[in-house]
Amino acid sequence: MAVIAADTVAPVPVILKSPGFWRGVVRRLCRDPVALTALGVVVLLVLIAIFAPYIAPYDPSKGSVIRRLKPIGTPGYLLGTDELGRDMLSRLIYGARLSLTMGVIPVPIAFVIGSAIGIIAGYAGGIVNTLIMRTIDVFYAFPSVLLAVALSGALGSGLTNALVSLTVVFIPQIARVAESVTTQVRKLDYVDAARASGAPARTIIRVHILGNVLSPIFVFATSLVSVSMILASGLSFLGLGVRPPDAEWGLMLNTLRTAIYNNPFVAALPGLMIFVTSVCFNLFSDGLRTAMDVKS
Amino acid sequence: MSAVVSPYNVDPGIGARGGPAQPLISARGLLKHFPVKSSGFFGPKKVVRAVDGVDFDILKGETLGVVGESGCGKSTTARLLMNLIVRDKGSLLFDGETVGETLPLAQYRRQVQMVFQDSYASLNPRLTIEESIAFAPQVHGVPAAKAIARAHDLLFRVGLEPGRFAGRYPHELSGGQRQRVNIARALALEPRLIILDEAVSALDKSVEAQVLNLLLDLKRDFGLTYLFISHDLNVVKFMCDRVMVMYLGKVAEIGTRATIFGQARHPYSAALLASMPKMDPSERTMEPPLSGDPPNPIDPPSGCRFHTRCPFVEDVCSRTVPPLASLSADQSAACHMAVPGSGHSRAPNLGETVS
Repeated sequence: MAVIAADTVAPVPVILKSPGFWRGVVRRLCRDPVALTALGVVVLLVLIAIFAPYIAPYDPSKGSVIRRLKPIGTPGYLLGTDELGRDMLSRLIYGARLSLTMGVIPVPIAFVIGSAIGIIAGYAGGIVNTLIMRTIDVFYAFPSVLLAVALSGALGSGLTNALVSLTVVFIPQIARVAESVTTQVRKLDYVDAARASGAPARTIIRVHILGNVLSPIFVFATSLVSVSMILASGLSFLGLGVRPPDAEWGLMLNTLRTAIYNNPFVAALPGLMIFVTSVCFNLFSDGLRTAMDVKS
Repeated sequence: MSAVVSPYNVDPGIGARGGPAQPLISARGLLKHFPVKSSGFFGPKKVVRAVDGVDFDILKGETLGVVGESGCGKSTTARLLMNLIVRDKGSLLFDGETVGETLPLAQYRRQVQMVFQDSYASLNPRLTIEESIAFAPQVHGVPAAKAIARAHDLLFRVGLEPGRFAGRYPHELSGGQRQRVNIARALALEPRLIILDEAVSALDKSVEAQVLNLLLDLKRDFGLTYLFISHDLNVVKFMCDRVMVMYLGKVAEIGTRATIFGQARHPYSAALLASMPKMDPSERTMEPPLSGDPPNPIDPPSGCRFHTRCPFVEDVCSRTVPPLASLSADQSAACHMAVPGSGHSRAPNLGETVS
């Protein structure tokens, strides 16, 4: 077959480039006040965690028996003091460090591992898919709290072990989402067209699958951050995560529960922080989901 | 692989080797059964007989039309030809060479490309138009810059100005423009055969006409062969040199455009043609030529598959499967009425002596 004749070649002056996909996402996100506010709160919390030593008015672990369980608004102790007389504001500020770490760290690790497992299962299909997904289902059969507690219990308490067990809890969930998205994308005609061109599987996954499955998985993973924070708090509450006297919101909730009748507002403060943070992560991931929908 | 040295048509002989009389594709006994979930654990294993022993040739330089109701196996046949799904049985000859044996699958794939019905689903939404078109040549070792330049040439050939369209994303194009991009992508590997699976069915009539004319131009310029799948008989009549009528996974009739549209011998082809809307109001059809849905391909009727809906059904039709009999050089039909001595009362007599 003759290669296209020279006279038919069009002069190509300038190629109008479309703004990329991520540009569009950012633009749409900027028009969503709820998602922006949520993102702002999250960023603020991260900054507070980073600069905790400069912000906190007192040492978070220094207590005093004479000023135990002061109510909110006590002069000098804006948010009161806890059962050992430690300043609540300082402890909440320092608590953001561990709580955010435990909420955020397991998710990206689980995202990478879970996506890889799910995409391989979804693209391969057939018996490979069945083998991988049924194995995943074994983990899925346990309630996530129970699984996290069981794993942490088996590994022993401590920050690293808590992070490992949370990661393991999230891998099956992410893998399952990745598998179902990949299975859908794999059936589309452009994947068939790529296969018809003789491209090897890894090229097809890299060029055609990844770009189209990662954003829904990413959105799902973002929503797991809040779950991770709550589970981490739960582990600390049970004594399987962080150990006292370290400040962590879940652990603080645990130690303050004895004060719930004497000073309920102070006792509820760590819970409020967990609630606000997880709601903000969820709102942001909802906004991200909407912004990533190209057709809207 | 030698593809790195000269990516396009390393062996220019492929597709031109057997001479003009050798069919480009000879499909023999193509068969694909899809397993379906049986009721309960111990129920018999059931299969959908999507394509159930199909023989046909695609001649060099022709357009072979494939028509039939939904679910008759048109698209499955196309995907079997593309090797997108693996055939259970049957053989595929490309220009006299057995695909997968003397002709490696990788080489065969460069010769046969496909355009799908859904113009949106067949383009990766995350790739620009030029990236989509340049993908296949890059897979076969063409350097990126060259592949992109070639994509621009092809865009120009399908009537899209490269300067305006190359950097765009699929959702920024109209359906007709997207289908032009799909055609350009199919051409990127310089194939000999292009399978058009309902490629124009989803387009507006005016756009459809433009794309059909584009297809005819490209066929002339590039020396292409088309397999044209459609349910629009008017389009098939316009585009195709020969027509194959399929019913429930089998070939009912195959012949030149003139024989099929002029003197169809299979009652199903006749009924299908009668369903074409007429331009002349005095020829308006009042009776539906066929009633009911086609039978379930999980459990097709015995004998001739059409016997449940055929107006000329007789005993023999439910007992024996009619072979695809050659009636003339231009026409073959799988109907007992067309085969002498089949036992059907309307069958032509066996030779002169009997009458």
